[in-house]
Amino acid sequence: MVSRILLVDDSPISRRMLKSCIPKDRGYEFFEAGDGQAGLELWQEVRPDVTFMDLTMPVMDGLSATREIIRLDPQARIIVCTADIQVRSLEQAREAGALTVVRKPPSKETVEDAISFAETRG
Amino acid sequence: MVTPEEIMTLEEQDILQEIMNIAFGKAAADLAEVINIFVVLSVPNIQMINATELPEYIGREVADYSSVSVVEQDYWGQFLGNAFLVFRDGAGKELVSLFGCEEEGFACESLDMLERETLMEVGNILIGACVGKLAELLGDAVSYSPPRVSTRMPPAEAIPAGLVVPESTAIVLKTVFRFNERDVEGFMFLVTNHASNTWLKSALAAFMEQYEQ
Repeated sequence: MVSRILLVDDSPISRRMLKSCIPKDRGYEFFEAGDGQAGLELWQEVRPDVTFMDLTMPVMDGLSATREIIRLDPQARIIVCTADIQVRSLEQAREAGALTVVRKPPSKETVEDAISFAETRG
Repeated sequence: MVTPEEIMTLEEQDILQEIMNIAFGKAAADLAEVINIFVVLSVPNIQMINATELPEYIGREVADYSSVSVVEQDYWGQFLGNAFLVFRDGAGKELVSLFGCEEEGFACESLDMLERETLMEVGNILIGACVGKLAELLGDAVSYSPPRVSTRMPPAEAIPAGLVVPESTAIVLKTVFRFNERDVEGFMFLVTNHASNTWLKSALAAFMEQYEQ
């Protein structure tokens, strides 16, 4: 069951794009952060069911934030949403503990599939 | 006097920055597929620069280098402008081995020539993939001039003076990247021609329409 979703991305436009791809009829509650450090702090505060995490961000990058969250809760469900689609980056995201990766630009299909996948891991 | 905000609003700059981010991510992945290298990306930056200040701006950005190597390509479609890949001088030599040239023993070719060919190839892949993806996301397709390579250039001359029409304002997209294994850093600048500004604004609006609630 997913009801609280945290979006971590330094670009407000990117967060808007991602949010628009998430189904509106499921009553999700959204939380947003603009860098990895702020995302980590907000994650600890709200304990979301799913976190969408960008990789390239100022202050703290998405890989470090993902590792920190997984250290705090190995069951945390993190979906990396990134423009960095190098094979090694995607491998690093999975090694850090991300469940799956959504490539930018996001689409309704890829985002819904990722959330459905996360639901199976709940 | 036209203000930067009249040329492109802050929201339009944010959209273009995100599209540049996606486009350069694609370019890095393409390069990583061709050669065994990992490209460390950074958050891109958008600036409105007056034509007369453009060479000085670019020179300032790469001022840490005493001399630079530049790969330049023009692109044209509805999206129109010039792309510059700027490295510190000598970076091409660091990258030569990535293309296997050393192993294959191009003994008759000078290192200078190999360096230029390497820079040209890296430039061709990065600029082509980045500008191509950017144009594709904005519903356009572009053509390119062959890449031109200049080495041992003073930073202030990294881009030609008079590139853009005097009195006009160029939209400059900048991204910094690093080739991890080679300790080589580079800059990509896309200098958008003012003739494509009107198209660019409507293309950015059309791009975001698909994401409106």
